[in-house]
Amino acid sequence: MSDKKNVLKIKNLVKSFGDVKALDNINLEINEGEWVAIMGPSGSGKTTLINILSLMDDISEGEFTLAGDDASSLSEEEKVVFRREKIGLIFQQFHLIPYLSAVENVMLAQYYHSVTDEEEAKKVLTKVGLGHRLEHLPSQLSGGEQQRVCIARALINEPEVLLADEPTGNLDEENEKIVLSIFKDLHKEGKTIILITHNPELGKHADKVLMLKHGKVDKG
Amino acid sequence: MFFRILKQSFFQGKKQKFLAILTILLSSSLITALLNTSIDIGDKMTAELKAYGANINVIPKSETLSLEIGGVDYNPLKGQIYLKEKDLFKVKDIFWRNNIVGFSPFLKKDVMFDNNSNQKVTIVGTYFDKNSPIPDEKDYRTGVIRLNSYWNVEGKWPKDDSNNALVGINLAQKLGIKIGDTIKLKHNNTKAQFKVSGILNSGEDKDDQIIASLGPVQKLLNLEGKLNLITVSALSVPEDDLSRKSRRNPDALDSLEYDSWYCTAYVSSIAYQIEENVPNAAVKPIWQVAAGEGAIIKKIQLLMMVVTIAALFASAMGISSLMSTTIMKRSKEIGLIKALGASSNEVYLLFLSEAIIIGIVGGLLGYVLGCFLSQLISYSIFSSFVSIKLVVLPVILSISVFISLLGSIIPSRMITKLLPIEVLYGRK
Repeated sequence: MSDKKNVLKIKNLVKSFGDVKALDNINLEINEGEWVAIMGPSGSGKTTLINILSLMDDISEGEFTLAGDDASSLSEEEKVVFRREKIGLIFQQFHLIPYLSAVENVMLAQYYHSVTDEEEAKKVLTKVGLGHRLEHLPSQLSGGEQQRVCIARALINEPEVLLADEPTGNLDEENEKIVLSIFKDLHKEGKTIILITHNPELGKHADKVLMLKHGKVDKG
Repeated sequence: MFFRILKQSFFQGKKQKFLAILTILLSSSLITALLNTSIDIGDKMTAELKAYGANINVIPKSETLSLEIGGVDYNPLKGQIYLKEKDLFKVKDIFWRNNIVGFSPFLKKDVMFDNNSNQKVTIVGTYFDKNSPIPDEKDYRTGVIRLNSYWNVEGKWPKDDSNNALVGINLAQKLGIKIGDTIKLKHNNTKAQFKVSGILNSGEDKDDQIIASLGPVQKLLNLEGKLNLITVSALSVPEDDLSRKSRRNPDALDSLEYDSWYCTAYVSSIAYQIEENVPNAAVKPIWQVAAGEGAIIKKIQLLMMVVTIAALFASAMGISSLMSTTIMKRSKEIGLIKALGASSNEVYLLFLSEAIIIGIVGGLLGYVLGCFLSQLISYSIFSSFVSIKLVVLPVILSISVFISLLGSIIPSRMITKLLPIEVLYGRK
């Protein structure tokens, strides 16, 4: 048995929309520092699972423990607090605030977490290779740069888990490589990463791969 | 950081912001105009109503003694005790001196025509437009020309201290008196002649009398320096509960009420002060005029309040619709902020702060436009400008912010219902 701390555990998880089971009997354990890839074709339930893991959606049945707490029993307000304290979110569509600069977008996450520190925000942006684009608006950045701002925003509060939903889905090959190298570096630093991807290249680097098909774990 | 976000976010959706500010601007300008006019309307209306005559009568105290038996007046002093002309200035030497628009002294008595008819006629001596020095204003002029602007004179007004006179229209018709005629009058053994300079149409009992300058009339009546009536026109505030209470029984006022009443320009407190100041005077407000003023002003103010409330609700509805559009347009941003860990209250704060800024900007601009509008309204109705009240500004700003917040409350509730998953992924 690993001596690493368990960060996330789901047991017999079911998520239903009416009569349709989007996720059926999913089991998963993730320890600190692990890189887990959740893969599968479109409609397999990947995004539904990451919505549950990011506390933006509820489970229908089963158990879900996050950082030692029973996440399924948290109230809406507790989920908000939990999300800002423990989870860093990276979106396929980046979801940056269009009227805030790169550094302000990162500071926004600081602001809703605790206090803002512009120097710290600049440092994280520099770490993802955007030291020269700090004051640019999202519209002045390329897709790869916007995704790196999104990664910096997810990292700024040093969350226990990084949840990335198709982080390279909207990027060209060159930017995909840059983002992959950032994830590799983060993994080396000991960050826990849960990543949804179609991309086999990204899945190749994961410690663990959960393959989904029609809402179930594909063991084949 | 909050102000940084607020500053950047405020300039998003410029069209909606512009329309929201415009909505607040229009309603606050209307409310400013109504408030400015409404505050001044009491003074304006009172000044307008002053054109219809005096609102206070000063008579000798003896006239108020009542000794009537079987319909016959046995007051032994009736008609014998007079006010003194030298005390006239004291009418305008009270705490509310600046509210005294003017006064007219009168000396009225029946005399006989100096001919074979032995016909009785009432002669009235008064000031037409005479210099009547008062302590602060040596060249102060007053008289019936200024006070009774509703008197219609065919011909010329007589000059003060001349032997010219006006003849009431009824009397002139009855006796066939024309402009330029000479009227001979006698009282006891004194005789006087007056030349008719004009025919008076007043709609009052003066239409049956002869109106002449006070000095010659006093001389004819052998009552030099004496008066039996002073009419006073005073600018007063509309009657309210306190003044009505004092009218019923002045002694029922406690000291605080008394101070408040004494230091407010009610017609009753002005009358009270004149009575204190003029020797041997009994001062009677003409209540019909005072009460009429109060009722008219109250109704106009009520009408203005109804319009103000309607404007307030209309603009709140406008803001509500604009805010709903803004929130729908920015739902992704709201979802993201919530996904990053913002509570609904923190998102509220952002939108309500924007609403407050809209309220302040719209309110300030509305105040400026409203001041301009109130001048237009006042000039077109009263032919004079209203004074700009700075005290209206904080009131307007508060109302504008209130309208803006009121209009934002219902749409803001949509924020609570917006779930990050719905707006970020477009589904639940």
